[in-house]
Amino acid sequence: MIPKTLLLELRRIVGERHVAESRTAAELYSYDGSLAKGPPAAVVFPADARETALVVKAACRAAVAFAPRGFGTNLSGGTVLPYGGLSICLTRLNRIRSIHPHNRTAVVQPGVTNLELQNALAPLGFFYAPDPASQKVATLGGNVGENSGGPRCLKYGVTTNHVLGLEAVLSGGEVVRLGGPAHDPPGYDLRGLLIGSEGTLAVVTEVTVRILPRPEQVLTQLVVYDDVRAAAQSVADIIAAGIVPATLEMMDAPIIRAVEESLACGYPRDAAAVLIIEVEGPAAGLARQAERIRALCAANGCREVRAAGSAAERNRLWEGRRGAFGAVARLAPNYLVNDCTVPRTRLPEALAQVAAIARKYGFDHGNVFHAGDGNLHPLILFDSRDPDQLTRVHAAGWEIMRACVALGGTISGEHGIGMEKKEAMRLVFSDDDICVQRSLQQAFDPLGVLNPGKLFPETATEFADKPHAIWAGADDLLSAAERETAVAVKAALADGSALRVEGAGTAGPFGNLPARPLAPLATGRLDAIVAVDPANQVVTAGAGVRLGVLQAALAAHNQFLPLRPALGLERRSLGGIAATGGCGPERLHYGAPRRLLLGLRFVDGRGRLINAGGQVVKNVAGYDLTRLIAGSAGTLGVITRLTFRTATRPERCALLSAVGGLEACEAVARQLLGSDIGAVFAAAAPAADASAWRLLIGFEGFAETVAAQLRRAEEFCRRARLAAVTATDYDAVSGAFAASYAGIAGRPFILRAGAPADRAAAAAELIQPYAACGALLVEFGFGRVMAGSNGLGLADWRRLSGGLHALAGHILLETAPVEFKRENDVFGAPQPEWRLMHRVKETLDPHGLFAPGTLPGSGPQGAAR
Amino acid sequence: MSIAERYEEIAHCNRCGFCQAACPIFRSTGHEAGVARGRLALLRALIEGRIEWSPELEAPLYTCLLCGACTSNCFPAIATGELVVQARAEYLQKVGRTSIHRLLFDRLLPHPRRLHLAARAAALGKNSGASRLARALGLLRVFGPDFAHAEEIVDSLPTQPLRVRYPEGIYPGQGAGPAVAYFVGCGVDVVQTAAGAATLKLLRRHCSSVQVLGTNCCGLPAFSYGDREAARRLAAKNLEILAATGAAAVVTDCSSCAGFIKSYPRLFSGGHPLSAAARAAAARTQDASEWLQSAPPAESGRLRGRRVTFHDPCHAVRGQGILSEPRRLLQRQPGATFVELAEADWCCGGAGSYALSHYELAMRVLDRKMENLKKSEADLVVTTCPACILQLAHGVRRHGLAVEVRHLTEVL
Repeated sequence: MIPKTLLLELRRIVGERHVAESRTAAELYSYDGSLAKGPPAAVVFPADARETALVVKAACRAAVAFAPRGFGTNLSGGTVLPYGGLSICLTRLNRIRSIHPHNRTAVVQPGVTNLELQNALAPLGFFYAPDPASQKVATLGGNVGENSGGPRCLKYGVTTNHVLGLEAVLSGGEVVRLGGPAHDPPGYDLRGLLIGSEGTLAVVTEVTVRILPRPEQVLTQLVVYDDVRAAAQSVADIIAAGIVPATLEMMDAPIIRAVEESLACGYPRDAAAVLIIEVEGPAAGLARQAERIRALCAANGCREVRAAGSAAERNRLWEGRRGAFGAVARLAPNYLVNDCTVPRTRLPEALAQVAAIARKYGFDHGNVFHAGDGNLHPLILFDSRDPDQLTRVHAAGWEIMRACVALGGTISGEHGIGMEKKEAMRLVFSDDDICVQRSLQQAFDPLGVLNPGKLFPETATEFADKPHAIWAGADDLLSAAERETAVAVKAALADGSALRVEGAGTAGPFGNLPARPLAPLATGRLDAIVAVDPANQVVTAGAGVRLGVLQAALAAHNQFLPLRPALGLERRSLGGIAATGGCGPERLHYGAPRRLLLGLRFVDGRGRLINAGGQVVKNVAGYDLTRLIAGSAGTLGVITRLTFRTATRPERCALLSAVGGLEACEAVARQLLGSDIGAVFAAAAPAADASAWRLLIGFEGFAETVAAQLRRAEEFCRRARLAAVTATDYDAVSGAFAASYAGIAGRPFILRAGAPADRAAAAAELIQPYAACGALLVEFGFGRVMAGSNGLGLADWRRLSGGLHALAGHILLETAPVEFKRENDVFGAPQPEWRLMHRVKETLDPHGLFAPGTLPGSGPQGAAR
Repeated sequence: MSIAERYEEIAHCNRCGFCQAACPIFRSTGHEAGVARGRLALLRALIEGRIEWSPELEAPLYTCLLCGACTSNCFPAIATGELVVQARAEYLQKVGRTSIHRLLFDRLLPHPRRLHLAARAAALGKNSGASRLARALGLLRVFGPDFAHAEEIVDSLPTQPLRVRYPEGIYPGQGAGPAVAYFVGCGVDVVQTAAGAATLKLLRRHCSSVQVLGTNCCGLPAFSYGDREAARRLAAKNLEILAATGAAAVVTDCSSCAGFIKSYPRLFSGGHPLSAAARAAAARTQDASEWLQSAPPAESGRLRGRRVTFHDPCHAVRGQGILSEPRRLLQRQPGATFVELAEADWCCGGAGSYALSHYELAMRVLDRKMENLKKSEADLVVTTCPACILQLAHGVRRHGLAVEVRHLTEVL
């Protein structure tokens, strides 16, 4: 029930006709795309962020539960209200606000569908990477809530890798902005925490996404198999061979037949399985990749390979894949879809077990899934009108999740936990893990009104068979050192001291001056590499392992971790790199450390060992704690182990350099980045002649492709009349910026600024007067400027901080002398969203154990005054 | 027949929500009550006893345009439009039906002459500014209860219905083609008379003779409203007339009529005495677009320099599968540039008398159509349904666009 006064207020806020309260409305909003049900007491349709905030405020005042909802197509019950309350339907927030090709971003409202955005971007030559199969009807707000993937995320990553900023209404009605067009703002990645939180932490009212230029060429192949296992094995082999297809999708016999019956896409009806494999990127060398894929499939005994000859043929192949779920709907009244993820090498076993489980419970089933990610989608056919079938189907779903977790996987790759899988959270998380996640929820929503009854198990007690032990696994090389770390943290808790986590000691103390003296907590003993899994391209190692040591271990498998942190490089510890987000200009292509992290373990402020994430490339089980802890600079806990995804070493890494004015360099970079050339970075540093700049463009990959990319880039440079155009090769591990880093490192002040990509040059110009000679590097792709300075006064800092904010960017000091820190906040003027960060800190570290006082907004506000 | 008998079909909705992508009403309102998934959920709830037949169901049932776009986007291809029509019938029985509709379906539509009289009186009223008189006569009610808007939509009414100018009978033609019969729909008869005259001219030019039929309303409005019996009565009268004509083909320039006549066999299914006649009529009926394929008019050049686009009436594209036929004809016109309209097959919101009964909703649907029309930069939009013409012309006026709206037969 909903109080009459609240209804009156809602009608006043959004207008009479935008509040629905009736038996039929309750029925209409009681479901989503899953089997979950829960009728709301009323549905409200706000028009914009302002109305949404007022609605949230009113609901909170009345202590009425509410849940945000888009088109209600999610597959886990995330948008229904199991205990009644208010459904806040955001379908009227359906405008694409703006598209900025120059800084490769777009700003959209949550009610815009994924496909509408794609359609708006296509004429401009851009696309938005996440492409859930339901993109016609999946809203971007929902994509954010679920951290949606889609076929293409094998190459490009999931939603969280493509959202730069959010505007959200917090419980209570406050509107906050987290992130924006500038990458890597100071402080915790709360944007990353919100993405995939299934509407339990805030109501998102605007999203700033990253958009990408369309690739030069796409090659699509359909591979036909007489044996499912051979298909699954081909998938594992392709990835292990170092090829990164844009998509690698699989369908088995029942799905193929269902699709053919409804759409006739040209899949052979008697096949046991088909793979749709797509490679895309620069045209040069692409055909060779497709050829290698064909050879690997042939080695696994595929029946035939068909290449799509035209866009129409390609569309037809995809039509079937996108329509697979629906086509199955012809076979039975209902289907239950699971979306467990397993390591790719375990796909053959996982498929066999799924088949056995379906058989055991007497159901027909089919598989259509993102094979390249190991993300299964078994569809179990049943009739929800039969209560017995309903019980059995849930039991089968549960068993499939257990089986996949036992294979090293997780319970959800992209559909979310919602209501349907909340009890299964115990399969992957311990009581402590769940407790930490719950406490975060409480930090965001102390009233407990925001989408209650989701994500977390209802009961506090463990299951009798302790299923979470599956994930935690047996003791390994790191376990003893991890326990010691936990003991050390507990000891500090007991004697009331505060800790500074110490890695390899290559970077100075990060952040503001601590509020009280810090005792060092060494991580040097967390130095074991636990598992190198080259076939799955995953590595797990202790936080104390130095990057160089890990790279050497990976080199034996022709793999590497594509991180080249600016300061300290290979001497840095993995924990330090993750905690400070250390990376260089290659971040444009490979992403920041948090992008490469699949999971981690840390000791929290209560001395508990907490697991975050997992070991598979796609994982939306629970909050994205991995992203929160990575980049928290040792203020939320001490990281003990990390699981990264690795990459195959590129055949060739080559740098094209050219000399010209900053404006000319920036113009060439902008052209390159807006084109389909596929640069790994586009940076610039002042040249020896003080007025000139050296443009640095990197390409990494197959030698044939790199050669062609260099030729094209040279052409760009020549047309812009840049001088001294030269190409040189560089090492995949140490990268191309050793000289720039050497100029920056060791300076008393090290600055890092972020700005929208099209304002990177402006930011560089602003910073240049303060930079020491040869100590400046600007990256145009994601708008970062790094600089070393020999002296920075209070007025300088104020000017810089204000100047960057005026560019819609930010600036922080990675290193600064203690005297400077006594007078200034090294993160600049305080931002409203920092309050939320402090709330999170208080929640996870209630005793102020980890580097208290060092966070943004904790220092003296010299710049603000 | 109760909707409960179709439980099996209804239960096949898996709530995937793909129907939302193409439903013009949902895209205008964002409300679950306005989309197939929601309507099916309500029907299921009715069958399973969670809700009861009540006036609350009127909006979900009657805001459906019956455009069929949901079915095209539905993998199990659930015929939601058909189920909605059936549910409307049950709604009328269990909740009630309005007197206006009784007047319309029982008194007016079965009698072309009364319809003509009503239209002439209305025209007199409207065109002379004496619309109060027309209102007093209640004659504009033909178009639904919301006559204030009816007057806005229907810009001007011809004073002389088509079949007053060309009474039923056989007209000699100038061509050698086989004799045809011309089925005049109500919309063409009383509103789009110019289109009707153009069609008749084309028919006469190609055929040895053309019989203008004395048929009444095809029955679609009654059927859509949920009054299956009224629809059958209207259709039965038509079947009698159609059976009596010797022409090989029955041509109509109203895609809605054509689509509905082609579905007569389903109206009289299951061993109904008229089922054979219904099948025969359906087999002989041709949409003007189809007939024109076999009888393409000489290239006139009257579209020279024009930028032309085509709007697909729901009852042509989904109702009859007509897609390329009208485009082929337009693309052949010398000197004209044909451009494809974005979302050409999306309903314009006219939907028979929908625009008159649900004005505001229909206008939101129309706005989307007008946005697309603007983007096409066409100066002429062609279609083959009188309700669409009415609606599009209203949209063009509302949005101040310099676009002409014409029936296909008027521009060939």
